[in-house]
Amino acid sequence: MANVTETADAKDHAHAHPDFLQHHFDTPTQQFNASKLGMWVFITTEILMFGGLFCAYAIWRGLEPDIFDQSHHFLNKIMGATNTIVLLFSSLTAALAVRSAQVGKRNLTSIYLVITILCAGVFLVVKYFEYTHKFHLGLLPGHCFGHPWFSASIQNGQEIGTCVRGADPATVMPEWVKAVDEGGKLQVLPPRANMFFGLYFIMTGLHGLHVVVGMSILAWVLVKNMKGKFSPQYFTPVDLGALYWHLVDLVWIYLFPLLYLVGKPE
Amino acid sequence: MSTSEHAHEHAHGHDDHEEEDTGGPVHVHIASTGFYWGIFAALICLTILTVKVSYYDFGSANIVIALLIATMKASLVAAFFMHLRHDKLFNTLAFLAAFLFLGIFILLTYDDLGNRGRVDPAYGGTVIPQTGLVAPGGAPSTSATQDDSQEEAPKAGGGEKKE
Repeated sequence: MANVTETADAKDHAHAHPDFLQHHFDTPTQQFNASKLGMWVFITTEILMFGGLFCAYAIWRGLEPDIFDQSHHFLNKIMGATNTIVLLFSSLTAALAVRSAQVGKRNLTSIYLVITILCAGVFLVVKYFEYTHKFHLGLLPGHCFGHPWFSASIQNGQEIGTCVRGADPATVMPEWVKAVDEGGKLQVLPPRANMFFGLYFIMTGLHGLHVVVGMSILAWVLVKNMKGKFSPQYFTPVDLGALYWHLVDLVWIYLFPLLYLVGKPE
Repeated sequence: MSTSEHAHEHAHGHDDHEEEDTGGPVHVHIASTGFYWGIFAALICLTILTVKVSYYDFGSANIVIALLIATMKASLVAAFFMHLRHDKLFNTLAFLAAFLFLGIFILLTYDDLGNRGRVDPAYGGTVIPQTGLVAPGGAPSTSATQDDSQEEAPKAGGGEKKE
């Protein structure tokens, strides 16, 4: 960094070269704009990665509308809506963290970042309860679909799900899953319903992975912020970290209605 | 969308418009805290709306309504939380390009799927229903899948085959 200052002097700039300005950029504004554009191009690639799954969703929904209608009743709308609100709130605090950094309120930036990370934790905890409930019902897709290892038929003295694999084939087909959905209705799902749950677990799983990565990025930004690396002149990492977090929110904004809400109400 | 006038507070007096880069500090638009809370309130209202609406059945319009509300929410997040509204127009274009290419991707995949054959339940081959010609690939139709599982049923025999 020392020689950067030298070159700056040599170039006779109107402003001195600050520490944060890397040697391959002429001005802070140029560096900021380049970072932003890079982040937006990255966001584009992220959307296209999720896009593959949304495409798979569109096609399987088109092929099996009834299965999707039936299976989506196993997703708890209230838990999904709670998580949506948690993520929207964390997006708000991420945006406020950027604002605080822009106006130079360092402690406030830290507080907002901590709240954002905590909200991400709450999101994952809710997701954990949703996932484990589906495991207990035997709704894990693939060879596990309806597998007795994953389905506990009795919970809290109530029959919540029965794996009927190997039951009388004259009445029930093997690998069909009988389970109580979120509306309290006993549903019988055919084997190919695991397509819905496959999409559910992969889409929310990839999104959950992004939540974990987002938490790590924000934690790194938090540490740098507490070390006093940012100022109203240089807040790019806060801005870009928040952009990543908003992307996580954006994906969930589409996942929530497509998985939890669309379909015939019971 | 990105270059029109606005009435929020500014940290450095003016921005939005292309200005000469004199090597000074970065100029950005800074919205007020209350403004961000307002956007959050709008997002919560839309979330409640989309959940409430899901308890009514509008048939095939269900998915249209849900996606419309989701797109309104996503636009609010992208425009204000992600600062696209006051950012360089080129960033918005890069972002929208993702959806353009996603649209092309989904449309072409649909087109491909529609021109593939269906699995013929009797022979197991893949045929184009209209012509009876053998087609490569192809997704099994719903009825074919049902037939498959019905064939499997007797094989499971006395039920001891699988645990």
